[in-house]
Amino acid sequence: MMRKIVLPARCDRAAAEALLPEFQAALGAGPLSIDASETRQIGQAMLQLLLSARRTGDGATINPSSALRDAARLTGLENALFEGNMV
Amino acid sequence: MSPEEIQGIFFLECEESLVAAEQGLAACKAGTQDSDTVNAIFRAVHSIKGGAGAFGFEALQAFTHTFETLLSDVRENLVPITPTLIDLLLRALDVLSDHVTAARDGGSPPEDASLIREMEGAMANAQGQHDAPGEPEPTAPTHAVTFDEDDLTSDLDLDDLLNDLAGGSPAGEDPSADGPAGDAPAPETGWKVHLRPHAGAMRNGGEPLLLLRELSALGAVACECDTTSIPALDDFDPHQGYLGWTYLVPQDVSEASVRDIFDFVGDDCPIAIGPDATIPPIQIEPSSTLPAPAPSAPKAVAPAPAPVAAPVQAPVAANPAPAPAAPAPAPEAAAGSAPPAAPAPGQSIRIDLVKLDKLIDTVGELVIAQAMLAQRLQNENVQSVEELTLLESLTRDIQESAMSIRAQPIGSVFSRVPRILRELSASTGKHVNLQVFGETTELDKTVIERLGEPLTHLIRNAVDHGIESPEDRLAKGKSAEGTLTLSAEHRSGRILIKIADDGAGINRARVFAKAVEKGIVAPDAVMSKEEIEQLIFAAGFSTAATITNVSGRGVGMDVVRQNVKDLGGRISIESEEDKGTTFILTLPLTLAISDGMIVKVGDQTLVVPLTHVVESLRPEPKDVQGLGASRQMLNVRGRFIPVVSVAEAVGAYDAVDNPSQGVLIVVDTESAGQAALLVDNIWDQRQFVIKSLDTHYRNVDGVAGATILGDGRVALILNVDTLVQGAVSAGFGLEAA
Repeated sequence: MMRKIVLPARCDRAAAEALLPEFQAALGAGPLSIDASETRQIGQAMLQLLLSARRTGDGATINPSSALRDAARLTGLENALFEGNMV
Repeated sequence: MSPEEIQGIFFLECEESLVAAEQGLAACKAGTQDSDTVNAIFRAVHSIKGGAGAFGFEALQAFTHTFETLLSDVRENLVPITPTLIDLLLRALDVLSDHVTAARDGGSPPEDASLIREMEGAMANAQGQHDAPGEPEPTAPTHAVTFDEDDLTSDLDLDDLLNDLAGGSPAGEDPSADGPAGDAPAPETGWKVHLRPHAGAMRNGGEPLLLLRELSALGAVACECDTTSIPALDDFDPHQGYLGWTYLVPQDVSEASVRDIFDFVGDDCPIAIGPDATIPPIQIEPSSTLPAPAPSAPKAVAPAPAPVAAPVQAPVAANPAPAPAAPAPAPEAAAGSAPPAAPAPGQSIRIDLVKLDKLIDTVGELVIAQAMLAQRLQNENVQSVEELTLLESLTRDIQESAMSIRAQPIGSVFSRVPRILRELSASTGKHVNLQVFGETTELDKTVIERLGEPLTHLIRNAVDHGIESPEDRLAKGKSAEGTLTLSAEHRSGRILIKIADDGAGINRARVFAKAVEKGIVAPDAVMSKEEIEQLIFAAGFSTAATITNVSGRGVGMDVVRQNVKDLGGRISIESEEDKGTTFILTLPLTLAISDGMIVKVGDQTLVVPLTHVVESLRPEPKDVQGLGASRQMLNVRGRFIPVVSVAEAVGAYDAVDNPSQGVLIVVDTESAGQAALLVDNIWDQRQFVIKSLDTHYRNVDGVAGATILGDGRVALILNVDTLVQGAVSAGFGLEAA
């Protein structure tokens, strides 16, 4: 029973704010699957949310877009975000 | 600064942005469609949107939002760049410009619904081709749409800029292909910068990742990201900054250039540089409600160990510990090894125009004071003082610098031309290529501001009446598209602006016939080519229904000439049948200072602007011939021109009335041809500062303004045009026609 959350194209702070309840609601329902394949822009708030999601409960796997990978590389968060990913 | 002033700056920036966007689109049209160009257009539109939101111009903001979204898709290669798209973007830019004007002047915003639909259509079309079919929501699959709108007012969407800088990788591209930070190995040597964006850095649309991108563009690589503060989801607050970073910066990058990046976020993103420095501590703001921007936030944690002037750090990786806080010997070494941060090119500041005018006014007074000093010394029989010469040359230098501050490149006028051509192209079906030369030529801001109208009219005229229809052009063996060439250059203290088309040229026979029909010239008048061409400037010789039936808009050519004349300029025509027509405007570089002859007429001292003077002479009695009771004509090398008594015109007493005892100044006028002004004698020729009579008294016919002479007396500056015109129409009407 994997909960899946799809991230929008623009993942700015407003997006993080809007998605936080959904992330919180998915807690305790097993590992979270985050589909970020459509994400074209990403900001620090969303990166933090993704990190938090990976640390909470059963964790989360992220299916990143190239833009997200790029942002992760920029911030040195590749391991923290994608390690153990099954992509 | 008051909100109004800030708003004023916003509109100034809008204008700059519009120009930038226009240039970007022109480059796109010309084939330069790289990401830099598209980004430049995007940034321009984006900055207008940001300000529009901040100042509550909703119509403007709504329109820029759609425009920006389309550009964003173009930037991300979601919408292909086609001629149709460029055309759409250009039209959107025109409407945007109208929006800005409406917002600034408080007018009603232009009708943009259809254009917005068109832009959305362009996005949807492209999305349809790009995305897998069946994707219902094209742009943002899930939640984006809803909060996007709410987001409009609160955030400035600087996030969009994320992709602008350095690492903008279009979706679907190989991630390893971009960015200096890509897969490149970490630099062997370098120095470390530690930073931590606080909540404030993310407020109001701020985006710390943007700063990191800039850092990465310098070649810096993230070597550590402190994620320890990230809470579990339950305690997560999207407004807080939980992350801190350590970046390894290449050795050859100066500390100043790194500090520059973080300068404007200030305390919101403290950075620390130095061997002992660490990532600044986290700073959680009182959450939930809108946090006040705590101005007195603990600054101590900021870059304490390294003052601003601190030298570039010694290589950290290669030389980890052995520098036990010994910053003393560093400066020289640093100076040798690290290049100082070069000042950014083209730095500029905004100056209130009032202040600038005040400066120029004062410089004007200085010029007068200097002239007064010279006069006084002369009266005291102290002449050829070396210091005075020095003062004079310095004064002139200051004057020139002050004037050059007011000077602006004429490009700001030329940049409006593409839009005029687009509109004309839509209404006349004539496509016109534009060539611009010398757009960096500078001239006074006042001249620039008042140049727009006549220039616009001349361009409309060139396209309406000059350039033929595509069919006619092909029939004549020309290319279907006409060419309009604008050029500007400095020539002997004046500026020369040429507006040239490669159209049909002026049909002199028809102009002459029209002038006869209008009763402007006699049917049997013998006129030279040039004289016939000048006829189109005659009042009442409206361009509408002259050569084609395309209606002129508003002003006629006589108004154009009047405008140019008011600027102290002249306009002339060169035209060749089927080769084209060139209008040449000669304008003074400034309106505030001019050269003139100081003349004595009876009890009056007057100034004749040098731009009008052709020659001056003391005539032999035989050169002047009477005509009728009181009129006199001067024989200048076989040509007779009317003698105008300045004394009569200005009501001076005890003036010379016999030309052979006075001096005749032959002047050139726009409206009445040449005339000879009779004055007692010429005193001097020098620069004078023009003081407007309008602002201090009222407009007086025949007087262009006043100036203060070296001895402190006020002298009137003659308006040669109206003076001669008045005198000639009173006494010489027949001869001058």
